[in-house]
Amino acid sequence: MCPTVALSATVEKLRQEGNTYFNKGKFGAAIDKYTEAITLCPKVSVLYTNRALCHLKRNEWARVEEDSRNAIQLDSNCVKGHYTMGLALLQKQEYPEGVKELERALDLGRGADPNGYMVEEIWQELAKAKYMEWEQASSERAWELQKLKHACESALIEKHDAFQMEGFLDEAGTTHMQQLQALERVFEKAAEADTASEVPDYLCCRITLDIFRDPVITPSGVTYERSVILNHLEKVGEFDPITREPVEPSQLIPNFAIKEAVQAYLQENGWAYRTW
Amino acid sequence: MTGSSASSRKILSKIACNRLQKELLEWQVNPPAGFKHKVTDNLQRWVIEVNGAPGTLYSNETFQLQVDFPEHYPMEAPQVIFVPPAPMHPHIYSNGHICLDILYDSWSPAMTVSSICISILSMLSSSTVKQRPEDNDRYVKNCRNGRSPKETRWWFHDDKV
Repeated sequence: MCPTVALSATVEKLRQEGNTYFNKGKFGAAIDKYTEAITLCPKVSVLYTNRALCHLKRNEWARVEEDSRNAIQLDSNCVKGHYTMGLALLQKQEYPEGVKELERALDLGRGADPNGYMVEEIWQELAKAKYMEWEQASSERAWELQKLKHACESALIEKHDAFQMEGFLDEAGTTHMQQLQALERVFEKAAEADTASEVPDYLCCRITLDIFRDPVITPSGVTYERSVILNHLEKVGEFDPITREPVEPSQLIPNFAIKEAVQAYLQENGWAYRTW
Repeated sequence: MTGSSASSRKILSKIACNRLQKELLEWQVNPPAGFKHKVTDNLQRWVIEVNGAPGTLYSNETFQLQVDFPEHYPMEAPQVIFVPPAPMHPHIYSNGHICLDILYDSWSPAMTVSSICISILSMLSSSTVKQRPEDNDRYVKNCRNGRSPKETRWWFHDDKV
């Protein structure tokens, strides 16, 4: 028997044993199996991603990062590697880098299976990270505005008091009030961008009623969330849910314009990442 | 909470839960005219009060709809029935079951509770006689074991009333 075949059979057996331990929640035992397999055959990326998942369950983030890095080096299109790498970076509070890894994982995952559970899981983590990023930035902005508003108000009041001392009265009093009201309006307006409201309907899928993630357009010209319309075509029937015109899965086309519009909207309205 | 239907109901999927929360929110901001959602903590069963439209056979009458959502809503239609006493209508059976195609064969996941309500009200409003379907007694007898209208093989009456 060719030694490489024997070797790969042994490695495969170890991997499966590791998976069995993992599914039972015995992460330490699973790590041992994967490590043994890696020692025999250090060039298989899935061994690293599996071991990374064990470390993740044990909250050993430095090891998660190391194994994810190895996996990505061996296979740059490895969905799980980018996913666990992203999580490890977020854990270290390296938001932009972590988000980038998760976005890469999402793109790769969608390419492999737009309906897969990984895609949903990655999206959730990504949305959570983006939301936290927004929350932090927006509370800083709110604090800054608050301080600026106080400074402007006291400047106006000071100026008004000085006027009064010099004996200008009635007319100056009304403009003073108007100025304070105008100031209030200006700052309210400035805070609007950071206030959660409603996502416009044209950026939402008519089935999920949620903001688009992976929009596709049907021959009737209606845009839907990809995973959901695929599910509909399979389970309910091969017709457009709104126009009832016939549709086949192969006729769905990515709607890049809407996808970009969503990205631009989310860029300005980070609160809309809140999907949980 | 008493479960009146015999069919055991599975807990809502995540997609269903999300979508129903969105629908409820939208309903609160913008409810369909003539309907009132009765507040409960049960997302899976909505009870909705319907007021007959003015100028129709059912003006000044109030009915109750009960909407039960399946695990895979909106890929599957909800079960919609009138809580007896149901309106006297050629497409509504005395046990509350409604013969309306969009609730069964013609369901589409792009429809919402709100759009169903509007269809039901329009069905009521266009009625010219207050009477039960011809096969009412036979049908209701067949449903005595608590069968859901979704298990009925509907043979839809024509669109006109």
